Amino acid sequence: MASLTSACRMSVRLAFRRLQRDVAARGFRTSATALAAQNFTMPALSPTMTEGNIATWRVKEGERFSAGDVLLEIETDKATMDVEAQEDGILMKIMQGDGSKGVQVGTRIAVIAEEGDDISSLQIPAEGNAQPTKASEAPKTQTQEPQSPPTTAVPPADSEIGAKPEAKKSKNTQIPLPSVHYLLKENGLDVSVLNDIIGTGPNGRILKGDVLAFLGKINASTPSEISSRFDKASHLDLSNIKVAKAPEPKKPAKEAAPAPPPAPVKSVVTLPVSLSAVVEAQRKIQKSLGVFLPLSTFISRATEIANDELPLPAGYQPTADELFNQILGLDKVANPKVSRGSYIPQIGALPPSSVLQARPAPAKRSDIIDTLAGPSKPKPAAKKTTVIPGASTGSNIFSLQVPKAEERRAQVFLERVKVVLENEPGRLVL
Amino acid sequence: MLSQRLIGRAAVKSAFKPSGLPSIVSASRWSRMYATEAERDLVIIGGGVAGYVAAIKAGQEGMKVTCIEKRGALGGTCLNVGCIPSKSLLNNSHLYHQILHDSKHRGIEVNDVKLNLKQMMKAKEQSVAGLTKGVEFLFKKNGVQYLKGIGSFQDEHTVKVQLNDGGETSVKGKNILIATGSDVTPFPGLDIDEKKVISSTGAISLEEVPKKLAVIGGGIIGLEMASVWSRLGAEVTVVEFLDVIGGPGMDTEIAKNIQKILKKQGINFKTGTKVVSGDKTGESVKLNVDSAKGGKPETLDADVVLVAIGRRPYTANLGLENIGLELDERGRVIIDSEYRTKIPHIRCVGDVTFGPMLAHKAEEEAVAVVEYIKKGYGHVNYGCIPAVMYTFPEVAWVGQSEQDLKKAGIKYRVGTFPFSANSRAKTNLDTDGMVKMLADPETDRLLGIHIIGPNAGEMIAEGTLALEYGASSEDIARTCHAHPTLAEAFKEAAMATYSKPIHF
Repeated sequence: MASLTSACRMSVRLAFRRLQRDVAARGFRTSATALAAQNFTMPALSPTMTEGNIATWRVKEGERFSAGDVLLEIETDKATMDVEAQEDGILMKIMQGDGSKGVQVGTRIAVIAEEGDDISSLQIPAEGNAQPTKASEAPKTQTQEPQSPPTTAVPPADSEIGAKPEAKKSKNTQIPLPSVHYLLKENGLDVSVLNDIIGTGPNGRILKGDVLAFLGKINASTPSEISSRFDKASHLDLSNIKVAKAPEPKKPAKEAAPAPPPAPVKSVVTLPVSLSAVVEAQRKIQKSLGVFLPLSTFISRATEIANDELPLPAGYQPTADELFNQILGLDKVANPKVSRGSYIPQIGALPPSSVLQARPAPAKRSDIIDTLAGPSKPKPAAKKTTVIPGASTGSNIFSLQVPKAEERRAQVFLERVKVVLENEPGRLVL
Repeated sequence: MLSQRLIGRAAVKSAFKPSGLPSIVSASRWSRMYATEAERDLVIIGGGVAGYVAAIKAGQEGMKVTCIEKRGALGGTCLNVGCIPSKSLLNNSHLYHQILHDSKHRGIEVNDVKLNLKQMMKAKEQSVAGLTKGVEFLFKKNGVQYLKGIGSFQDEHTVKVQLNDGGETSVKGKNILIATGSDVTPFPGLDIDEKKVISSTGAISLEEVPKKLAVIGGGIIGLEMASVWSRLGAEVTVVEFLDVIGGPGMDTEIAKNIQKILKKQGINFKTGTKVVSGDKTGESVKLNVDSAKGGKPETLDADVVLVAIGRRPYTANLGLENIGLELDERGRVIIDSEYRTKIPHIRCVGDVTFGPMLAHKAEEEAVAVVEYIKKGYGHVNYGCIPAVMYTFPEVAWVGQSEQDLKKAGIKYRVGTFPFSANSRAKTNLDTDGMVKMLADPETDRLLGIHIIGPNAGEMIAEGTLALEYGASSEDIARTCHAHPTLAEAFKEAAMATYSKPIHF
């Protein structure tokens, strides 16, 4: 239950952070970059809010405000709400004045500066600065960084420590319980004596009773007797189940645990692409400019372009930020349906057989066999392409090995590569 | 020349303009979206504490999971009509009662204290709505598919779902988890209408404070609801068949103690009394009660009767007959130690199967069952599940009770410490209650911990941890506790168990 409550609390906090994203992001900047003023955008005050009216600005241009001060009042179709400042600052410029109607969530309504900034020398940033994704990414990358540095100094010491317990391999790694520690001291024993004591506690922990038994102060078998009692109590008693109707002796037969989930299935997406236009362009460039550009340059440029704004893989899991954007209705501002890919196609010559023999039915889904057999099963191109068999300047197989869920994404990628390489490849490099 | 040659990853990367490199989505996130859409890795029937926790855990483990819930809100009995709403009422009715009766001698004079029951209910509903929405968010976050409807078995792999919005669908699952929970056990001859004869569900949403409330059953639910309505002004009588209140597991000494305290608060008790029959045809409800040991019959008159004699596993409309799953004589789904039914890919956790009907037990099992499916092992320590009653003062315990130990012929040593000797309780003017510890006389290993006192429900966490780690009372006594806190009473009780307390 506790976790649920905290999740809810966090959800509120997260949501609020999103609202005030631009303001909050300033906290992560260094002093040098803080000299720029920040855009303050229309916050979403409820999950359904998409636009609102600005009733009044409570803080005037050039005025200071502290965290918690009401900056402005926003009217929505439901209510009028105060927007509080998250940090101290100065209201540099109001972009949407009192009485502005129908201001979309996410649009800039003011520019704010940090306390101590000289307003007269500050530049007003462009509106585009308030790109939601970028602002939220900035803190992320910064928080990840500190994880690596501390490890650099440690390794030598670490390996030493790691070696010792392995060498001894005894149970003496546990921190003795207060009672155990006291008993040892009281009886003038060294901590090393714990190596000779058998622990009857959970996971072999040495308990007070174990030491007492070791010292002969209590019956030697008592600790283990108690331990087995606890062990019994730790399980559900399923011994005397009486079945309601059917009088068969119950207790379902124990069978082997279900088979482990299968390894991720990869599938191969392929597309024949003619490189003749590329070779042509390559030849022209060498002729006119005297520069020889390898084919790989064309292909890598095409790859880069095609990777942009790919459809999300099936079953793509949005991040917590994206989920909150959805709840706040902010997903309409950015386009969440696409993301950048990182595909690099594998290229091979088109096997002659596949070109010469028309396949009766193109395989709809490739499976693990395809993966193992290599890229030998090309999908016929959506449109008819002229194929020059065997020649590297002609059709080549571009293939991608991707998880099943990404098939469509990969397909889109390859089709784009094809379009770019087959039409006007010269523009890729010029 | 390009044929059969692969372009090296590094070569392509180097061709990228550094500025034109937006965030590259890591491939690892995608690698778990492999299962076919048609069959889910896990289908869970029931979105209560067991069901939703299992769903989230399974989502975190990368499984494709569907959770079917008919209520229209997640969280089950606990969040919607159980633990959560009752705690809201208990807390707020306690505040009201304290302002009304307990503020003057503390130096606070309040005039015109009025009860606004509607607002109190609204506050409760807000808490509930916030929490159930929170669960829905967690579903979204962990990629759990949420179907609102009634799920029933079509065959061993298929669950038919009658959708709340109309229509029907079905889901196939490699694994299916039954987590349908429990519902109120009705009292024979008194059908629950939630107006005059109410269950715990009705008891958290009465529209006005009844003049006279009779509670059948002196267990935790009965006593908590009795407390709420007694504080708000009802004349409450609790009828309990057994000689002690508190239900199973509560230490008898503790039960006797809390009964005295609650009686002082104005709740009447009829223990060792059996309700023979009831009649709700008239203006009020009449209960014919009889001393359990054969005394003179009596008639109790009440405006509202709360039936709180327990809960029973809920398997109605589940279609168990379609897959041939049996229940035991008390209606529980039969499982093995890894929560498997006799059909190994169908498992079952929570109230609908064995063990105490507690939300936190269901939660533990839900995590364990997903671990069994995914990793082949899971862990719940049934000997170490705390129980809490949220009356004022609260009652909480973990481990064995004194009567358990006596019955099993186990030797034990007792140590107690009263809150009347605790500095913080004294300053708070809340000195009712005590901490009682039971330990093995030879090894001093803790066997059970029982607390009556303000915040006992929070304090029991320390006892649970101690028990889980096999601590002795000396271990607790030698651990520093902040001063002045109620937790010092816990430490002193431990000292009393293995040696002597300082402050008593």
